Amino acid sequence: MISKEHTFIRRRIEAVAGVLALGILMLGVRAVDLQWLQADHLTNLAEKQRYRQFTTVAPRGPILDQKGRILAKSIETPSLAAIAGEVPSDRISELAKALGISHKKLQHKLNKRKGFVWLARQVPPTVARKVMALNVPGVRQETEWQRYHPLGPETGHLLGFVGIDGRGLEGIERTWNTQLSGESGLRQVRRDARGHSLPDGHWVREPAAGQAITLTLDASIQSIAYAALAEGVRNQNAKGGSVVVMRPQDGAILAMTSWPGYNPNSFRHYRPSDWRNRAITDVFEPGSTLKPFTVAAALESGRWQPDTQVYCEKGAMRIADYIIHDDHAEEWLDVTGVLVRSSNIGSAKMALDIGARPLHNMMEKAGFGKRSGTGLSGESPGIVLPPERWGPVETANIAFGQGIAVTPLQLATAFSVLANDGVHVTPSLFADQLGQHAPTRVMSSTIARQVTQMLEYATSEDGTGSQAVPAGYHVAGKTGTAQKPNPRGGYSKGKYNAVFAGFAPVNDPQLVIIVLIDEPQKSIYGGQVAAPIFRQIAESALPYLGIPARFDHLGDEQDLNNQTWRTMPIAAEKSILDSESLFGMSMREVRHFSAQRGLRLHVHGSGWVIRQKPTATSGLKHGETLEVWLNE
Amino acid sequence: MSTHLKPWLLIPATAAALAGGLIWLSHLRYELSLETQRVTTEKKNIEQESNQLRLEIASLTRPERLRQYARDSLNMAPPSPIQVIHQ
Repeated sequence: MISKEHTFIRRRIEAVAGVLALGILMLGVRAVDLQWLQADHLTNLAEKQRYRQFTTVAPRGPILDQKGRILAKSIETPSLAAIAGEVPSDRISELAKALGISHKKLQHKLNKRKGFVWLARQVPPTVARKVMALNVPGVRQETEWQRYHPLGPETGHLLGFVGIDGRGLEGIERTWNTQLSGESGLRQVRRDARGHSLPDGHWVREPAAGQAITLTLDASIQSIAYAALAEGVRNQNAKGGSVVVMRPQDGAILAMTSWPGYNPNSFRHYRPSDWRNRAITDVFEPGSTLKPFTVAAALESGRWQPDTQVYCEKGAMRIADYIIHDDHAEEWLDVTGVLVRSSNIGSAKMALDIGARPLHNMMEKAGFGKRSGTGLSGESPGIVLPPERWGPVETANIAFGQGIAVTPLQLATAFSVLANDGVHVTPSLFADQLGQHAPTRVMSSTIARQVTQMLEYATSEDGTGSQAVPAGYHVAGKTGTAQKPNPRGGYSKGKYNAVFAGFAPVNDPQLVIIVLIDEPQKSIYGGQVAAPIFRQIAESALPYLGIPARFDHLGDEQDLNNQTWRTMPIAAEKSILDSESLFGMSMREVRHFSAQRGLRLHVHGSGWVIRQKPTATSGLKHGETLEVWLNE
Repeated sequence: MSTHLKPWLLIPATAAALAGGLIWLSHLRYELSLETQRVTTEKKNIEQESNQLRLEIASLTRPERLRQYARDSLNMAPPSPIQVIHQ
């Protein structure tokens, strides 16, 4: 009995031991399975859970002007996206209302696919907050970089714009996309059970922020040029226009602007043809503005002197089967007269005398017929025929700017040669590229000065460019009017380009300004259309650059230090807006002051205010009386 | 009492103290990491805000806007070159 019981207990113990052994064996097998056979896979899974990778987007570099003012900058902007399948259909109308789009449109967006769809990209933060506050399942907020150009249309053509994916599509944004765009970084961190990052994160790839680009542009001058151009184009009812402002000494481009403008912040609302930077992509026949270079080539040949006389055929001259006309019929003119009176015949005779090759050399050295070297995309090299194809008719035509095509930037570069005592400097848009190219001599400094002097006469009272001269400055410049070529190879009737090219001040040129107006309607002459725009830009930009106006009529008796300027009382006036006392104000100012605040004014006497009642004006309310006594 | 204090007890005591220290240190490290993350986020937000404000300054002080404001609200006109004084 006992042994039977013993046997039973023993069996039971053995059974339990067996089960335990089996359990341990299975554990062993499982351990081997997990630790050995599945190790790689499981380690992988664990790491995926534990490690997380973040992509950090590097911002696009800003574009700055020469004084560090922001011309283009990227900011983080919210964008709204959704997992389409997760958005409940009964909340779509609510969501559409917050997004500011129609129900139908949102429905269409969500029906495109089940997964990720953009609802609205780069929206104002207020909209994003409103949408996220609805807490619709499946809707989420992402962050994107948006490019913003604070100067808008003023710098639109030059800077271009950036697409929604952050790639530069036009202008500087496109040409220097590689430097501007940064490289996104990848960071790996370990997370704890609560999802917080642990301290030992490391960069898989370090982000590299986009480089900043500093331009030679000056935002103030750019704005001055754009405003003057816009006004000029509107006054003339013209089709368009361009302005280039350059510093001749180092070729720094201070302003480059075109009309019609477009706003790069909303570039989609404009036609692609409006995006074009006309100052470098569009060529035009420079007309008479090319004559200074013909004259320079003639003087350089040694066969002509500034006072050499030339017979201008009373306004018409036949070359082969072609007749050249002058606007004003002239007989004998000296070389200076040819330039001042802008005689086509005189220039043609000079060119025919020296021959095609020296003239071609001059054009080539002055920078026509090749890209100017700024590196901007879409730049046209212009059209200059090879000298072998210059017959007498071509040579004569090119002498007064027909049969040759240039860009406004090329013309600016060429006029810089004259302003620079005959030295050609490569134009540059980038502050760090200034002075990288060695300057080359195009003509002797004597000749450059002689031509400059002639150009100064051309803007005198009798010259064609008299309207280009701001009071107190001397300008050397040349007007030009050229018929526009038509696509069939001839010239369009009634379609002209009006040009003014010049620099100021003459004795120490600081600005070369080119103004081109495309198809002006009221007048076709450069002297009436483009010259006033030149004056407007020069008279704002020169004082801004600290170049004082000078008065010749004070000239001779006084010494050089005293002759320069006259103090105007307006500059010494106290601001009427922040002073409480009216003391010293003129009658007009007091009237203005009281009209602004709606006060009833009693005035005694005339002249300047010496006493007022009440003494404190800030407490006066609308309709109350202000009494003032003036000194006389 | 002093009979219980055997010199070998120093070893487990030290080990316990060191272990405690280690735990405390790792906790400190964790707390600091959280703090760092918070400050980094704050820094990023401030940078973003400053970026936005800079842009706003650029936008508000753009020459065209100042010109319009001076002309329309302050009744100013551009000075002619002779009215500008240089020092």
